[in-house]
Amino acid sequence: MATAPLLEDTQFIPQARGARSGERDEVVPDQTPRLRRARNRLLLQTGFGLICNLLLWFALSYMLGTVLIPYRFQIAVLFFLFILIPGAILMQMNWVQARQGIAELGVVGTLTKSQLAHVSARRVAMRDELKDSEPYIEVMRGQIGDSLAESEREVMKVIEQIGLLIAQSNEQREKIAHSIKSGKELTESTHQRVENNKQIIAAIEMQMQEQTNELRSSFEHIENLAAEVSALTPLIKVITSIAQQTSLLALNAEIEAARAGHAGRGFAVVAFEVRKLSVLTTKAAADMAEKISWTCKRVDSEMAEAQASLEQHESDDAMTHLIGDLSGMQQDFNTNSELLLEVIAEVDASYEESVNRLSQALGHIQFQDVMRQRMEHVQEALVEMRDHMQYMSEKSFDFVWTGKFDRNFKQILAAHLNRYRMASQTRTHHAVAGGSSNSDNSRPAIELF
Amino acid sequence: MAMKILVVDDSVTMVLSLKTTLTMNGFEVETANNGQAALDKLKSGIKPNLIVTDVNMPVMGGLEMIGKVRALPGFRFIPILTLTTESEATKRDEGKRLGATGWLVKPVAGNDLVKVIKQVLPGA
Repeated sequence: MATAPLLEDTQFIPQARGARSGERDEVVPDQTPRLRRARNRLLLQTGFGLICNLLLWFALSYMLGTVLIPYRFQIAVLFFLFILIPGAILMQMNWVQARQGIAELGVVGTLTKSQLAHVSARRVAMRDELKDSEPYIEVMRGQIGDSLAESEREVMKVIEQIGLLIAQSNEQREKIAHSIKSGKELTESTHQRVENNKQIIAAIEMQMQEQTNELRSSFEHIENLAAEVSALTPLIKVITSIAQQTSLLALNAEIEAARAGHAGRGFAVVAFEVRKLSVLTTKAAADMAEKISWTCKRVDSEMAEAQASLEQHESDDAMTHLIGDLSGMQQDFNTNSELLLEVIAEVDASYEESVNRLSQALGHIQFQDVMRQRMEHVQEALVEMRDHMQYMSEKSFDFVWTGKFDRNFKQILAAHLNRYRMASQTRTHHAVAGGSSNSDNSRPAIELF
Repeated sequence: MAMKILVVDDSVTMVLSLKTTLTMNGFEVETANNGQAALDKLKSGIKPNLIVTDVNMPVMGGLEMIGKVRALPGFRFIPILTLTTESEATKRDEGKRLGATGWLVKPVAGNDLVKVIKQVLPGA
């Protein structure tokens, strides 16, 4: 009998007492008439069965009595037994079933009124608990739903941030690509310019060499000219000497003209003029000598300066330094350009690596979708659980209910196996509930047909 | 010119993450949130070089969409990859029968996805 363990369940006693003390006062009195009605219905069914059997027996006996056949009494007894025995068996079965049902309700005649109230209260409490499971399950579903929505929002934010990062990286990459192009162009341009400058410098150098040579040639010409001018100095002396001799000759002629008296007067005038001319010649020769001397000194001075300048010009390596500096600059620039291009290439490679890693990270974000689908399945299972518990709650006081479910928890759970989409769901199911999967999980995660 | 990929998935996170991944790797991306929306896009004149689709979606699922896409003129040989949590062999075989080019079970790392796309998409 199910009554004994139910009554031994002391955990429920306080709640039953609580029910008697007022918590469920409105429920307990309502159940007793229902239980009485159930018992009375059973007694009525049994009595009705007996009366029907008796009436049937009387009817058959009457019918047999109207026909004159031998052994009618024995036949009537046999009929009676044929009717009575199956009827009695059926009544007994009905009675056992009824007793079991009543026993489950805790209303077996052995229960006292107090015990009946306890059992009734427990049943009510169980029904109420089952009923109260609905908001509980709904809250849990809500929690899962909100968590999913929240995780979806947050994952979206993460993806958006990654998107911004990628956009920024793309922008930088474009700048880097532009820098690479500009850097290469600048290097080539500079190299070309340096080459051009080298040619220009070589041309200038050649031109300057030519100028130096021309200068040297001119210098030599001037030097020769100065020498030739210097060579005129003795001629001045000759002229001076001739002028002095002419002056002496004129003086002698003048003396001789004076001796000749009147006849020599004209000659004296000529002699005077000749002496005057010789004086002028001597003065001009002196001036010439002085000017030639001055000119020679100037030429010597200028020549000395020009010589010094020429020597300095020849020994000056500024142009060589300039060419060396330009070559050095070009070398430095090339080195730095190569270094810069290497850095840019490394940054570019780093970008590729970043893209690769971000792609991987975005792949892992798909986990959110996997989790969402698993959670949605759990939500569906909670709905099934809620509906099943509500059904149990409704049936707990349905005295016509046979105790059979359309689907019990075992069947509901087993049905999930056909609705799983992921191998991981099936694995979890079998790991917890036991059993093994018949599906083929050996196929790869990525399969090309 | 960048290759165009149509991403079909009812999960907004999936759509966004795939769009970001593929854009980052130089593809142009169109999106749809179910099979019917994808078909409407194709009928409106959008001609992608490849389709990546989920299987279980509202309104119209991925497998039904693959069958209908294959029936459209000009889409008989376009590569179609399914990216789904569905790992059942029967579904895979159905996808293969309907004309899917490949079956990828989520989650798939972004670079693996790009590798597969470049494998099935000539010139990518």
